Amino acid sequence: MKVEISRRRFLQGSVALSIAGGVSLTPSQIIASAKAATKPEDFGKTKKVATLCEMCVNKCAAFAYVRNGVITKLDPNPHFPKSRNMLCPRGNCGIAAIYDEDRLKYPLIRDGEKGSGKFRRVSWDEAYSYITEKLVKILDEEKDNRSTVAFCAGEGMAEHTFKNFYTGFGSSHFLNHATLCLATTVSGYSLTIGSYGQADLENAKYIIMAGANRAEAILTPDTLDLFKRTRGRGAKLICVDPRFTNTAAKSDKWLGIKVGTDLAFVLALTYVAIKEEIYNKEFVKNNFNDFESYKNHILSNNYTPEWAEKITGIEASDIYEIAREFMANAPRAIYYQGRRTTWSKNDFQLRRAQALLTALAGSIDTKGGICFGKKIPIKGHEVPSPLYDNARGRIDATEAAVVGGSGTWVGFRNKVLEGRAEYPIRALFNYKHNPMQNMPNSKKTEEFLKKLDLVVTIDTMPSDTVLLSDVVLPECTYLERTDPLKVFGGIEPAIAQRNKVVEPMFESKPVIEIMRGLTKKLSKPLFEITKKYDEEVQDMIVEDGEKSVFEEEFNLAKAFESSQEELNHHAVSDYEGAAEQLEKIGVFYPNMDRYFKKIGVNDYEYYPEDKKFYSVRNGKLKTASGKVECNLKSLAKKGIDPMPTWKKEYELEIPNGKFRFVTGRHAQFTQSGTANNKMLLDLVPTNYLWINKRVANKLGIKFGDDVEVVSKVGKTKIKAYPTEKIGPETLFFIHGFGNYSEDLTLAHNNGGRDAEILEDGIEPMHGSTCLHDTIVEIRKV
Amino acid sequence: MARYGMALDYKNCINCRACETACKAENGILPGKDNYRIWIGQKEAEGEWPNISIVSQTYHPSQCQHCDNAPCQQVCPTNATYYDENRVVRVDPERCILCTYCINACPYDARYVDDRTVTVDKCNFCSDTRLANGETTTACQATCPTKVRTFGDLDDPNSEISQLLKTREYKQVKEHLGTKPKLFYLI
Ligand code: SF4
Ligand code: SF4
Ligand code: SF4
Repeated sequence: MKVEISRRRFLQGSVALSIAGGVSLTPSQIIASAKAATKPEDFGKTKKVATLCEMCVNKCAAFAYVRNGVITKLDPNPHFPKSRNMLCPRGNCGIAAIYDEDRLKYPLIRDGEKGSGKFRRVSWDEAYSYITEKLVKILDEEKDNRSTVAFCAGEGMAEHTFKNFYTGFGSSHFLNHATLCLATTVSGYSLTIGSYGQADLENAKYIIMAGANRAEAILTPDTLDLFKRTRGRGAKLICVDPRFTNTAAKSDKWLGIKVGTDLAFVLALTYVAIKEEIYNKEFVKNNFNDFESYKNHILSNNYTPEWAEKITGIEASDIYEIAREFMANAPRAIYYQGRRTTWSKNDFQLRRAQALLTALAGSIDTKGGICFGKKIPIKGHEVPSPLYDNARGRIDATEAAVVGGSGTWVGFRNKVLEGRAEYPIRALFNYKHNPMQNMPNSKKTEEFLKKLDLVVTIDTMPSDTVLLSDVVLPECTYLERTDPLKVFGGIEPAIAQRNKVVEPMFESKPVIEIMRGLTKKLSKPLFEITKKYDEEVQDMIVEDGEKSVFEEEFNLAKAFESSQEELNHHAVSDYEGAAEQLEKIGVFYPNMDRYFKKIGVNDYEYYPEDKKFYSVRNGKLKTASGKVECNLKSLAKKGIDPMPTWKKEYELEIPNGKFRFVTGRHAQFTQSGTANNKMLLDLVPTNYLWINKRVANKLGIKFGDDVEVVSKVGKTKIKAYPTEKIGPETLFFIHGFGNYSEDLTLAHNNGGRDAEILEDGIEPMHGSTCLHDTIVEIRKV
Repeated sequence: MARYGMALDYKNCINCRACETACKAENGILPGKDNYRIWIGQKEAEGEWPNISIVSQTYHPSQCQHCDNAPCQQVCPTNATYYDENRVVRVDPERCILCTYCINACPYDARYVDDRTVTVDKCNFCSDTRLANGETTTACQATCPTKVRTFGDLDDPNSEISQLLKTREYKQVKEHLGTKPKLFYLI
């Protein structure tokens, strides 16, 4: 094979923006702010600080180098088993996040029509007072129904801190990304095999990765382990995806499945395994609950490969072959769980079927299978969680069969908008979450946000959601704060800590300080409202006195009294030297001093092989019966199929000339959160519409042409990329581009915006969104 | 004194481009589509959907090959391009006159014009930014998620790179040109 070398790299380079500035040219205002925070004795020295990356959800360990108050470079920190010893492209570009000129710098209060983008700069105290005043009014009018105020948060280590505020506040409404992302796969695997688990890709021999794109949607340690072993080097990888992704490029076999039909594919694999009796009989005998029902269900429904071929477009012979190979590699064969599994109406059933197939191979709680691993116990700290008698239950509780603690975001939004809620939702606290971009049908989100009396957003960047907020509180970036340490359970468990690298710039603050300031201001006035309407509390006051009731129960500031550093010290105080080690190298686990070894120029050993937690359950899974659950009868009462079943309605018609739209990720971008990052945009300046080359030819669409993608709910403009890596019925572009916010200088109107065109259907189990169920058409413009 | 080279387990490469960003950040390279020392070679996929040739989508991590017999060094009229004590092909910004002979001479397309130093520059194995500070890895190597890269001393028989080249098959790029490249692609 010939090695190809080319300076004119394909696609990415062809339309690159020329961005002035960059790492070596930091704007003077930023430099001045950074330098001001540097102690004179530190000038001229290089400091190395252990941090954890927050450019995506993985939280890789990194070392930051600081010189004269400015972070000059981020390097991988090899001490952390989860991230091994690496920083992905986004991790390297954290510097452009902290030194982004468009950052939120000061607290702001809206000073114009909602959404006008007009704000006035205020002091922190003014912002807190304003929020307090508004909340007092709302809660007085709503007779202390705390649930009229909703809370939402993006994923992150400090989400925990924000959640303490939510707990003290006493609302029933917490919303997060779960139903926009992984709720169905987490529960599909949990209800079936007891937990979502960790796929042991360091030891698995056969992996079916469907829809999950680990070469581009990097997940640690999965990505790091898997791709050293594919292509005839120990692990056979079957990639199933409507697109030929980078993961397909690293696979042994790629199957271009029809969008939304994965469940039929898995059912047919299961059919072959059961019909040919090639499953792991021993494991099934000992560990399955009601296998007979599942067996009969699969066989009597005739889920044959021939049947599946018509639905999925995958040849029956391939399905036979894969089912046989999968079982031949048992118990080191995994149907990979996947993460962002908001695809279609059958997502929950699909994940159940995948878990059952993996269990049929016996690849559960064993090396090379799906492992559950161990956690490292740490100490918690007490936070007030008062009971409010007038706080009512969730309004979205009946929007799906099982609505968990983080709600159904789209179900919640739509219920409010459609005026179906049992009581009004008046306010929203939003921590680092961007529903304007991350929820389908963004016109509705806009309307929803405009409808609320008070939207308070804490964020680092002026996102589209920030523009629709009433109060904006600038959080500092991850490189400017110490966050709650975190236990990363798994095969090789560890505790990791994000340490502050440099002082927060401008007037930004870590969320713990924001919460401290806010709760100091609002606890008492809100308690007054509770006193007025809550008879329980009135009785308590008669008994214990007002001061004591407030101080003991309702002073929300108590949760934020200690500094984050103190809380972290306390959390690991059972382990000698752990707190100091976490500050110094960012990582700690018991016996690390003996276990951790450098074994090569790139490689480290974290645990000796016999100390890794591959098998921990001793034959008893964390399900209701302690076994693999085939037949979830209790769900039937809620209208959910107790066993994975294919339904005609899952076969979405694609009218002639139209397409089914899918969305996704690549490795140089993390949703809208990195949309304005100049280093990442230097790599990939915008997103492109993938369209089948032959179809594009027919339509006269060439590379770089502007096209409009139109759905029932909206339209967006984007440049075309004709390619054979996508089928003739499908269109794709990467999520997170096409931001409205003019305050994001580089991201504003850059590329296509999927939130604008996606329809907002939800699946029946958890009310998760169906991001791959939108039919679109295109026009050249 | 060493003779530095790099072995690339290129089948591990997922085309994530972390190496590109790490190189830019470490070496202060300006943004812009023409400014880079390192890149991943990629072609458009061959075949028609759904029959795409997987091998047509192999990713080729590429950068200066640090030839032991470097054409760019031979054509440089001012000796701006030279071998340093570790046999790394280096460029001296003081001497470079931007004649661009080296750009044309390099069969690997490894050179670019750095507007910051006004030099025709290229990968230098992070000699000034990392090795000089006692680091033993290059930025691209350290950051790589799938550990494609092993940098080290070819003259030290015990170094990991020497061991790799002893035990694994490898190929070199355009070695028929007699350039003696010191990048080794492991098969
Ligand atoms: S995967 Fe990349 S962006 Fe995510 S935490 Fe790790 S280095 Fe950061
Ligand atoms: S960092 Fe490694 S995997 Fe990523 S593109 Fe570079 S060589 Fe390939
Ligand atoms: S060795 Fe250093 S200079 Fe060369 S490509 Fe890698 S990071 Fe860039």
